[in-house]
Amino acid sequence: MRAVWRAARAAVRRRRLQTLVIALVTLTSTVAMVVALGLVDAASAPFDKAFGKQRGPHVVAAFDPAEVSDAQLAQVARESGVEAAAGPYAQATVEFPDGSMNFGLGREITVVGRADPEGPVDRLDLWAGRWATRPGEVVLNRQSDWTSDDLGKRLPMPSGGPALTVVGFAFDLSRTADAWVAPEQIDALHPTVTQMLFRFPDSSTDDRLRAQLGKATEGLPADALTASRSYLTLKHQVSSSARAYTPYLMAFGILGIAVAVLIIANVVSGAVISGFRHIGVLKALGFTPGQVVAVYLTMISVPAVLGCALGTVLGNVLARPFFEFVFMGPDAGVFHDSVSVSAWVNAVTLLGMPAVCLLAALAPAVRAHRMSAARAISAGSAPRAGRALGIQRRLAGSRLPRSVSLGVGLPFARPGRSALTLAAVVLGVTTVTFATGLATTMTRFGDAGRDAYQVTVYASHVKDGKEIQPEHGDRELHSLLAELPGASEVTGRAVVDVRLAGSAHPVILEGRRGDRPQLEDVLTRGRWMRGDGEIVAGSAFLRQNGVRVGDRVSLEKGGRTEKVLVVGEFMQSNPRVVAAGWSTLTALAPHEKPISYHVRLRDGTDPAAYARAARAADAGITPDVRGSNAITQTIIGSASALTLMLAVVASLGVFHTVVLNTRDRRRDLGMLKSIGMTPRQVTVMTVTSMAVLGAIGSLLGIPLGVAGYDLVVPRMTAAVDITLPAYMTDVWEAPALAALALAGLVIAVLGALVPARRAGRLTVAEVLRSE
Amino acid sequence: MVTEDSSGEVVVRLDGVHKEYGETTALAGASLEIRAGEAVAVMGPSGCGKSTLLNMIAGLDRPTGGTVVVHGENVGELSEKGLALYRRRRIGMIFQFFNLIDDLSALDNVALAAQLTGTPARQARRRALELLDELGIADRRNAYPAVLSGGERQRVAVARALMNRPALLLADEPTGALDSRSGEQVMDLLLDLNQIGQTLVLVTHDEHLARRCASRLIEFADGRVTGEHTLEPSA
Repeated sequence: MRAVWRAARAAVRRRRLQTLVIALVTLTSTVAMVVALGLVDAASAPFDKAFGKQRGPHVVAAFDPAEVSDAQLAQVARESGVEAAAGPYAQATVEFPDGSMNFGLGREITVVGRADPEGPVDRLDLWAGRWATRPGEVVLNRQSDWTSDDLGKRLPMPSGGPALTVVGFAFDLSRTADAWVAPEQIDALHPTVTQMLFRFPDSSTDDRLRAQLGKATEGLPADALTASRSYLTLKHQVSSSARAYTPYLMAFGILGIAVAVLIIANVVSGAVISGFRHIGVLKALGFTPGQVVAVYLTMISVPAVLGCALGTVLGNVLARPFFEFVFMGPDAGVFHDSVSVSAWVNAVTLLGMPAVCLLAALAPAVRAHRMSAARAISAGSAPRAGRALGIQRRLAGSRLPRSVSLGVGLPFARPGRSALTLAAVVLGVTTVTFATGLATTMTRFGDAGRDAYQVTVYASHVKDGKEIQPEHGDRELHSLLAELPGASEVTGRAVVDVRLAGSAHPVILEGRRGDRPQLEDVLTRGRWMRGDGEIVAGSAFLRQNGVRVGDRVSLEKGGRTEKVLVVGEFMQSNPRVVAAGWSTLTALAPHEKPISYHVRLRDGTDPAAYARAARAADAGITPDVRGSNAITQTIIGSASALTLMLAVVASLGVFHTVVLNTRDRRRDLGMLKSIGMTPRQVTVMTVTSMAVLGAIGSLLGIPLGVAGYDLVVPRMTAAVDITLPAYMTDVWEAPALAALALAGLVIAVLGALVPARRAGRLTVAEVLRSE
Repeated sequence: MVTEDSSGEVVVRLDGVHKEYGETTALAGASLEIRAGEAVAVMGPSGCGKSTLLNMIAGLDRPTGGTVVVHGENVGELSEKGLALYRRRRIGMIFQFFNLIDDLSALDNVALAAQLTGTPARQARRRALELLDELGIADRRNAYPAVLSGGERQRVAVARALMNRPALLLADEPTGALDSRSGEQVMDLLLDLNQIGQTLVLVTHDEHLARRCASRLIEFADGRVTGEHTLEPSA
């Protein structure tokens, strides 16, 4: 065994560059694998993971405290059919005074008295501050993107009661409360409900959950249970944004895994094949075939294991900010400070990547195992019978410069290695194509209506926790904003809750008044409203309500009913939203005023300067300069990062192929230089050999990338109930395709350039002498 | 055979050439002159530096000291590209182990040298075929190195070396890897070439080869010239 280790150690030392390349490739591939598997894992069931992490309640039940005591409810928690329970918690509904600061929670909030954020059910993510332990303190249910600067601020209470101090922010995916106070505080808020949180063994359907809740509470008075909510409803609501990400992340994950495995196989098998002569020498020295295989597997394992270990660590380090970037907010299943790669991903990578390396090394090593010493030695040094000779002959007679025609012929001389390298380039180009198409669509999606307005002016302003109303009336304010320097168009927007006749679903009717009623929305079918009684609805609304463009529907508000004609469909994922002209809105809600005004500026106008001018003109308004689209940025950013990573891995594969080819062809290169080939010609020949693979890679990779786009993008849009207009999905234009065709060339040339230049600098005398 | 012609132009001049590879000294102040049309054999024990000497003249390596001037060009001062062009235009090199490209036919191996200079493929192949014909292996033009005998491979290598009509033909143990019959054929070939005016420098262990082909023998040991003899033509 010592001899095996010595021989392997010596081989590793002697082949420093190869060892370095194997370590580098396994490291990069492992990083890609960790991120890719992590993405697949995170994208597969984000809600379930987040819900599981919080041990979320399958049922949130509300009981009437007049009908059932806390002791009785505590007894329910111990029933045999209950897996776990939390509570009883006293629950109050609090309505904020007019104009007070409500931390984005709305005017009416649910407050629960709870002693701590932990427990057997519903473990809250306390991401800022601390828990409320004394009267006068409150913890608010906010996602971690809320500012922790609000800690210490006061939450006003109704009827002049003492305000509560915000001492912490916690996130509860299950939305069991908007705020929590210490149990000693809750009585002051006049609780009307007792809350219990249950987990049941069978949570597969609403019916089963209802049955288990019924069984657990059957001993209670009949009217004790006043309401209950299943987690399945929440799951559907929460998962929709994550569902949009899933197909795209899955596609990248699968591409990443495929590229990593292919490159590893290429690098490792190439290293073993190029060592045949060494294998023969070992055999001649008396190493048994088994020992020879062991030497080679050890030789490959040392850098591979090192690369895998470092790659796993680096992958975890890189994945953290990357996942935080990709999975914005808990809707995607990631909580504050809890973004990490799952243990199984690390385990699979740490065990799987070395296993892939060993498997890739095993096949050629076993071939060497079977070979006689003489054959192994000659396989490494004897003249090879030429391969692809017909191609070489035709190329030799072509009009191409000889360094180019020789380069074009080189890949055909090593068909196996070329095929593996080609596969890596194909996957690299597929990734680049797919990501480019996706980024183009997302850019167009994000840019849709970007020029519709640059500044939104909200018709209220909150100062010191108090809401201030505009100094000007609605029409006056509208005119004022239009007259400010730089304003080109002003459109008011009001929102009222209405009801679709014959449907239980509430509808948000957006009324628009002014220069640009379509605002930023993109029409996918039909036309925009032109007059009274016309609406344009979102794709999700139409699908969920079984309505089509051209149908007439009735909208109701209070005692009023308005029959409207659906004249168009626009891109809108919220299934409750429809848009109408101002007269249609006021027919249902005559006194409604715009909540915001959207101002389009003339070219060259500074939006910030306009916002300052508007603010100066009326202290009761809040001008807001329109920012960028966060989701679009996330997808484009993550697609770019993943594309870059996979392109680097593919380039490393090419790099290694060229390193091996250069070493295999040292004698040929030396000879070519001896008869007058210049270093530049050697470089051109070597780069050309890989550029051929790059060009073929582009030809194959582009259609695959387009197919991937056609597969993924419709699923992404279907997941969020959006119909994209054709101009957003018609992304394959000639210039873009030509640029993509360059992707394979760039990957191949970048990978080949360094070893090619090295080959060009080979010292002829040394090369020929060593032969 | 061309006998020594002291009036011929000096085409190679080495003056105090040193070459070190790390701690190892391969050449330790080698000096010599070779005139146009001469056939010079360099002989010496293994590891004495004679192949390094040939590499210096061929521009395959650079001296660490002294000067190597060939046809008025100081080889040591040429850039990498300059060296490549120098080898292309002035030098033809024959190696002990042929150094043919396995993936190219005999004809394409020979034509390659001319094609690198920009000669059109058709013209290069025509000239290659002429050379193969002169060397008696035109019928093997489409064969690949792996199926050629040692002698045939070396003839292909000679044809390649002559392709660009070099001023200087350098041969490093040209018969070292050949059986005696093939070796004799190659010797005849070199002799014929020298007789038509080709300047020839060959490095060899084989005294028979030296006496058969060369007009002057340079003895080499420990990286320097230790003796020189004019050779009588052998029978």
